[in-house]
Amino acid sequence: MKNFTAALWAEILKMRRSKVPLVSAIGFCMAPLAGGLFMIILKNPEAAKSFGLITAKAQLLTGTADWPSLFGFLAQAVAAGGMILFSIVTIWVFGREFSDHTVKELLALPTSREAIVTAKFVVITIWAVLATILIFGVEVAIGKLIVIPGWSNELLRTSFINILGTAILTIPLMSLVALIACAGRGYLAPFGWAILTLFIANLSVILGWGDWVPWAIPGLFSGAAGPRSEVLGTHSYIGLMITSLMGILALYHWWRFADQTK
Amino acid sequence: MNYAIETNNLSKFYGKVRALHKVNLRVRHGEVYGFLGLNGAGKTTAIRTMLGMIRPSMGNVKVLDQVISPGGGGPWAKIGHLVESPAAYPELTVKENLEIARRMHKIQNHKAVDDVIEKLSLSFYADRKAGTLSSGNFQRLGLARALLHKPELLILDEPANALDPAGIVEIRELLLSLAREHGVTVFMSSHILAEVDLLADRIGIIHKGELIEELDAARLEGLRSTQLVIEARDPAKALAALRDFEPAAVNSHITIKDRRAVRQPEMIATLLVNAGTPPTHLAVEQENLEEYFLRLTK
Repeated sequence: MKNFTAALWAEILKMRRSKVPLVSAIGFCMAPLAGGLFMIILKNPEAAKSFGLITAKAQLLTGTADWPSLFGFLAQAVAAGGMILFSIVTIWVFGREFSDHTVKELLALPTSREAIVTAKFVVITIWAVLATILIFGVEVAIGKLIVIPGWSNELLRTSFINILGTAILTIPLMSLVALIACAGRGYLAPFGWAILTLFIANLSVILGWGDWVPWAIPGLFSGAAGPRSEVLGTHSYIGLMITSLMGILALYHWWRFADQTK
Repeated sequence: MNYAIETNNLSKFYGKVRALHKVNLRVRHGEVYGFLGLNGAGKTTAIRTMLGMIRPSMGNVKVLDQVISPGGGGPWAKIGHLVESPAAYPELTVKENLEIARRMHKIQNHKAVDDVIEKLSLSFYADRKAGTLSSGNFQRLGLARALLHKPELLILDEPANALDPAGIVEIRELLLSLAREHGVTVFMSSHILAEVDLLADRIGIIHKGELIEELDAARLEGLRSTQLVIEARDPAKALAALRDFEPAAVNSHITIKDRRAVRQPEMIATLLVNAGTPPTHLAVEQENLEEYFLRLTK
């Protein structure tokens, strides 16, 4: 346990001192801000047009300006944006050790390599959960500020579970991003992978196979393609768990046995 | 006999490329071992296998009586290392970088970081971000991390890299004091052969992945060739007078490796005087480590 505590302390310090997690969290806040903007537009399209906020094309925007729409938008933004932003933080947490050549300082230590990898995953999870809670809070504040109908405590509870659930389903998939950041010894390969998985997720949903594709599950869970009970089955969650677990095991194996020449 | 480091038929292949081939290296406890080799000779690969960073294709490595396992197991609490160029988290201060190392090494003494900062003359830079350090101070930070936990064995890849002349002397004295006064075993690779010459008790020379020579520094003295270096007023006449000794003209010097001449330089002086070209310089010179190394690896 002490093994892990030391590694976790180190990872938290690195996280605190770096700008990457902070900038990524601020970037994530664009989601509730965009949600708020859409609500303003939907609430009063004519005024938005006169202020130059929208053009004729934006009239394609559909929906109503209310709390369910606002939370629904945020859930979808977490599904798509989370995959990219969580990937960026994961790529930084793992890939930086290779870019800064610090990985060689982590390999011959009394603190085990497994403890170091676990600590990295724990800080990524903490960051992702906190960032999701932050944007949810920002969204609630924005909704209150622009005054929209449809608020209820039950909606708040279910929306929070929905949005946090979407984030929590995205986090385990980061094991593969981490693996590629390590095996690729840097930033580019895992970033390419993150984009590819987002593309695969969208394509699979369009083709109707989304429930079988692990990277599409968070998006489907968010309600982007309809009620989750209709678009997801037990097999979807099992597939996501197996894929993530394989990623984690491969990551541990890589750290334990791969030749470290950088 | 127990060795601090022992490699047995250590080999490493990358596809068809042979990085190490049957390296049998022995480092005794408490000695300073100089590990020499040209770029790409296999020095860093050997060092990384000793630290469990690279898995041998064949053979094994034993460090402080423990076989280094492929999964990264080893007596790391007793080993300090510096592999290739030093590395540190640039956004963290010198102190924070060392504090991470202190915790990862499970050192209870909270003063360990301050002590090593002082030892490596880094006090002035303790609160500076590592990314802003000069390359010399960055090297000191790497050495500070290697020494932080007072290891029994130091494995250092080019420890004098990037240091200024005063820094080189300082680190040399520090390593010598660790070895002589505290019994620390020092295994160091270096391309500054004069540095190895001054420090090492034993020397290993690796070339194209093979350990071609491993010997005591004292024995090396005997193996280095000696020669007589002569300067004369009339070099052409001197060369003619010395032709029986197979002289070689090197720049403005004449060198003779013939043992009779090396043992009796006064005989050569007499010969030159009698030939009407008295020597202006006559000295028996021993081949330095660099010349010896180059001769071996040619």
